[in-house]
Amino acid sequence: MSTDRFHALSPARTWSIIRMNASLFAGEPGPLIGRILMPLVLLTITRPLYTAALGRTGGTASAVAGMLVTFSLLGMSIVGSSILQERLWHTAPRLRASAAGPADILVGKAVPVFVLLIVQQAVILGYGRLVFGLSVGSPGLLAGTVVVWSATLTALGGLLGTLARSGGALSAMVDIGSMTVTGLGGAFVPLALLPGWAHTLAPASPGYWAVHALRGSLDGAAAATASGCLVLALIAGLAGTAAGHRLRRSSVRTGAA
Amino acid sequence: MLEVRDLTKRYGGTVALNGFTLSIAPGEIVGLIGHNGAGKSTFAEIVTGLTRPDSGTARFDGADLTRASGAVRARIGYAPQHLGLYPTATVRANLQLFGRLYGLHRRRLTGAIDRVAHDLGLTASLDRRVEVLSGGVQRRTQAATALLHEPDLLLLDEPTAGADPATRDALLAVVRDRAEAGAAVCYTTHYLPELDQLEATIAVAARGTVIARGDRDTLLSGLTGHATLRYPDGSATTIDGADPVRGLVSALLDGPSPSDVALHQPTIDDLYRHLTGGERVH
Repeated sequence: MSTDRFHALSPARTWSIIRMNASLFAGEPGPLIGRILMPLVLLTITRPLYTAALGRTGGTASAVAGMLVTFSLLGMSIVGSSILQERLWHTAPRLRASAAGPADILVGKAVPVFVLLIVQQAVILGYGRLVFGLSVGSPGLLAGTVVVWSATLTALGGLLGTLARSGGALSAMVDIGSMTVTGLGGAFVPLALLPGWAHTLAPASPGYWAVHALRGSLDGAAAATASGCLVLALIAGLAGTAAGHRLRRSSVRTGAA
Repeated sequence: MLEVRDLTKRYGGTVALNGFTLSIAPGEIVGLIGHNGAGKSTFAEIVTGLTRPDSGTARFDGADLTRASGAVRARIGYAPQHLGLYPTATVRANLQLFGRLYGLHRRRLTGAIDRVAHDLGLTASLDRRVEVLSGGVQRRTQAATALLHEPDLLLLDEPTAGADPATRDALLAVVRDRAEAGAAVCYTTHYLPELDQLEATIAVAARGTVIARGDRDTLLSGLTGHATLRYPDGSATTIDGADPVRGLVSALLDGPSPSDVALHQPTIDDLYRHLTGGERVH
């Protein structure tokens, strides 16, 4: 008996799930617009503070990297909602009972949010470049960092979506988690200005490694970019594995006896 | 042919299935009845691959359903008890998604949507968001997602729960058509008269196992009916048991004169109560 359902990716089925999820996002664009516009507004307002403290080039890079990490972390709510809604709407078991395999469903769910996160970050970086003359040392490293960071956020958001029992719980998790990760990681306030204990805790925050990799790519420093991306990829792998495990467990029991 | 043998399933200390055995032939509609917790939904979840049994086998045309490929899944249509639709998407978008997941594309998909929408009275609702539709239309949409690809095995878990009469009639007609086309159908319901309308054979589930299986007339042949006597003061007495005729005669001879006497043939509900020692299906 073939077991292809559990292993192979069907492009047609995966694409149909991607289309549905993309249309769901398009039907409720408010959160997306907010996550894209808010960092541009805050970047415009706060950049003078950064440039006053760190100089024009360093300040602009810190402001852009900080806003990017902060608001892309808040974008995890969009990822988490996408997973949570499938459970609340009882569509998760419908998908699993169909001819689609787990790989089709996971990729079909992940791709739209992954693309959205990349678009969000591209808009912030493009705005920083065009409006404030953000210096990009290595566009290739920067693109790689954005891809790895988006994958990390997709995995972390997906994990939160499997852990939350309601929209309110997810919102609380994302708000508290993203602000903690942002603060500890030196995304909102440069690490140099934070107290000593925060320096010690900072490497435990994914935000720290995101800022590390982003600053490295903006400075054209391959080693710093690579080390940051490596840690982020590790976090993405762990979170993705945990999310997949939670999804399988939650789908095992779906209804009344 | 669906063949399920000796399925067992536990959730912690709760036994959901305990030797559940059932087979459904092509073209047959089986009405699976039982109270909540009898094992109906767990059975459906195992057949659709959502849950793995602790032991036992579930096969469809020889294919092991617990390890089935996408090709086998594509031959199964499943409408679970809970509505499982994308509420912010249109009816058409929901049908397109499930149609594509079951291998329908382009003209075949468009044709299938038009057909099932016509059969279930959904044509006027195709381009409306599911969340703004009545419960009956949502129910029909859910059933449509299971029927779209003309499955060879159709599992409908209480598809008419909360549905209006029009929805119920439309669904039953489509289910009959599907069975006439050769599909094996498992129809779970609490509305027992529907099984008569479907001319379904009956499987009675209780405590995780099938305790009776057969056609309606055979299963009811060993049962007696009951009589209801209504009196002028508004009170009423039901006479049943092993020999309701004797009881009725006795009541008429010895008791007060009733204003109305109604005789009832045995029903599936009577069968269920007889088999389970008084439990009702609801």
